[in-house]
Amino acid sequence: MTPSLPTLPTSVIGSYSMPEWLERAKNEYLSRRLSRRDLDEMHDAVRKAAIKDQEVAGVDIVSDGEAQRDNMIDYFTERMPGVQVDLGSKRFYYDFYDSVVRTKLATGTLGLAEEARFLGTFSGRRSKISLSGPHTLVKRLRNLHYESEEAFALDLGRVLNVEMKELVRAGATELQIDEPYYSGFPEDLPWALKAINAMVEGVDATITLHICYGNRYGKPSFEGSYRYLFPAILDAKIQRVSLEFARRGEEDLQLFKEFNVPFSVAIGVIDVKTQEVESPGFVADRIRRALEVIPAERLVVTPDCGLVRLPEEVAFRKLCAMVEGTRTVRQELGR
Amino acid sequence: MAGLVTGSLMSLVEDGVLDARLAPSLRIHLDWIQYKTNFRDPVIVRRTASPQGQALPLAEIAVDLRQADAATLQADLARAVRSLGEGAEANADQHIYLDDFRPYRDCLIWRFNRLFWQHLGDWEAASGQGFEAALPGGTSDANHPQAVSDSVADFWTLLRDLDNRGQLPPEIVGLEIGVGNGARAAAWLDRFKALDEQCGTTFYSRMHFLLGDYSPTSLERALEAVAQHGSHASGVPLDALNPFKALASYRFKVMYVHLTNVYDNLPFDDLVRRDGKLYIVEVRAYLNGLKVDQLTAEFGMSRGDLPGAVETLLEGGPYAVFPGEKGVAFWRRLWDTFKLEERLRALDDREEDHVPPGLSRNHLEDLLDEAPDDVRFHVSRGAGESFANTLPLLHPRGFLQVQDIFVSEMDDYRKGFRGPGKLDGSLVTWVNGALLRAVGARAGYDVHFAPFPYRPGTKTSVLYTTQRD
Repeated sequence: MTPSLPTLPTSVIGSYSMPEWLERAKNEYLSRRLSRRDLDEMHDAVRKAAIKDQEVAGVDIVSDGEAQRDNMIDYFTERMPGVQVDLGSKRFYYDFYDSVVRTKLATGTLGLAEEARFLGTFSGRRSKISLSGPHTLVKRLRNLHYESEEAFALDLGRVLNVEMKELVRAGATELQIDEPYYSGFPEDLPWALKAINAMVEGVDATITLHICYGNRYGKPSFEGSYRYLFPAILDAKIQRVSLEFARRGEEDLQLFKEFNVPFSVAIGVIDVKTQEVESPGFVADRIRRALEVIPAERLVVTPDCGLVRLPEEVAFRKLCAMVEGTRTVRQELGR
Repeated sequence: MAGLVTGSLMSLVEDGVLDARLAPSLRIHLDWIQYKTNFRDPVIVRRTASPQGQALPLAEIAVDLRQADAATLQADLARAVRSLGEGAEANADQHIYLDDFRPYRDCLIWRFNRLFWQHLGDWEAASGQGFEAALPGGTSDANHPQAVSDSVADFWTLLRDLDNRGQLPPEIVGLEIGVGNGARAAAWLDRFKALDEQCGTTFYSRMHFLLGDYSPTSLERALEAVAQHGSHASGVPLDALNPFKALASYRFKVMYVHLTNVYDNLPFDDLVRRDGKLYIVEVRAYLNGLKVDQLTAEFGMSRGDLPGAVETLLEGGPYAVFPGEKGVAFWRRLWDTFKLEERLRALDDREEDHVPPGLSRNHLEDLLDEAPDDVRFHVSRGAGESFANTLPLLHPRGFLQVQDIFVSEMDDYRKGFRGPGKLDGSLVTWVNGALLRAVGARAGYDVHFAPFPYRPGTKTSVLYTTQRD
């Protein structure tokens, strides 16, 4: 049975702090000085610790911390039938492989269901699994087959749709699609959202679309305003949109006053690009300002993005502050 | 000169000063030091010490081939060899020691350096020349007109691209760290304004150029130099080691950062690998015993007065020691006499103080794996710290350019001694570019080095960053 959620549920975006020793181990694996089996054991230990940290902090919707993912591209392309990945093309785990698509993508599972089972085994809380979206993958993969980025993205949407359904079969109830490249290519939005709708078609889960300004190496890849998303995003067949506000300020919250948004909103209240830990009071203030434009029953509280570039101690304290600040506001609301 | 060193050593063996059985294991380093004036006497002995500072048997003699005098070389070598023997007289040269052994990063040269930049005007008035004239090339590469013009053109192209994509921020922020006399910032802004007008764009109207420096004198001069740009330029007192501290509100907003000859003037450590073991170079500041008597006679002091006078100078400036020009003259003469004795202290496996901010010990070890054996190299911790604390200011499409003297590959340290050198009142040392490359990679930037093509024969190169994908 899926655990119920309180008002203003808290969640993470996906990734949790990556220990430096695990980074070294990943590099050792790439240099063939460590076996896959040993590395997977390390991954699992770190995933369990990440779940535990989130539970202790009091996060309502947890992830497995994604320690097993080198980055948000390779984890998917390595598993995607039809993508040719040059496994000798990187020495540092966080870099991207050279990956190329020469033929139409085959339909096949990526094996992410294992993550759903892992979370079901090691956490009693509601959990979430994220997938990189079609637009993001299009921007990173070398396309030698499809006639356009749009055609490529739509076919990726088809393949990822199969995977989302596999995840639901394995018990996943919360799925997230990550699209950090929208903000750099706003002109792509019409076809990028078509690909999202292809990806979520018939998937029986709560689906979040996370759109940030990038968090590669803990820094933004783009700057600007979320205004470009509107009104196009209103047609996305999703249940929740997740945006970053902590680092960028809350100016764009006004967009939710201007437009009648048909889904709930996850607001970033924790800046993941600084090691300075927010106070619970500061978090509460941010939530209160969001409540001025978004009703409580449609608001979810998250960090701006993944916590992968933060030291574990900082990441944990930030989650604790987020949870405590949220509880303060819940009490004020009498819920 | 190298042949003379060998010949002199053979003579010392024949004279019985040097035990022939020791000769094969005696380590002699011959260095050609770029800077004619530096902190070493022509022939020095470096002893080794345990991590706790206890003496170890290994020692080496280092000869500065540029300073060494053929007439006195044999005597200098003999003195060095004798000082290695049991029962050698401690401080035979009657140096006046000002400090204990400590790593370069913590030694007195940095207090002298700070004093110089704080009282730059006094020093220049006494020397009769601006500090740029004291640079090895007699001029700063910062102000080369073509270099400035090309820099502006590159930046303008970036702005135009962003504008075409509708991604140009409302305010365009530029930053110069270490402003010198402001000539470069002024030339850059003049050129930027002219290009903007020529191309019919409106970038200049959105431009805000920050001039950052910790020297009040430099900042004041620089602001005068850019006065005609009014509110488009402003000064920010900042420590080059941590620009982010003073400019936190500009996080991810600065489109262009430029530095010239700042990193070569920031604290560093020197590491040495000998026979597979890693040592940190520690230094002890002293006043050369042979020159001290002249100094004391000139200023009517005793030898015993000198350590206190040095402390007064460093604490309160030149006028706290003597009033008027005499205080500055004392400072200048003292700087001539100021030297550093070196020793090699073995590093403890758990010691991490030498690891620069922006890197972990593991990263430093990765870097050491690239270094040749039996090599001495810089851990440019000040440059690394400054770099790591500047990168978070950069806009996602922004870039950083540094004109300086870089050792871009660890292997290049095998090709010579890279400083520190003594400048007129301050110091300079080459910067470990390979280390900055590692710091950049951790922060998501690729670091590149290109020759500075505008002045033939210059040792300056240009570091620039690109986003690491």
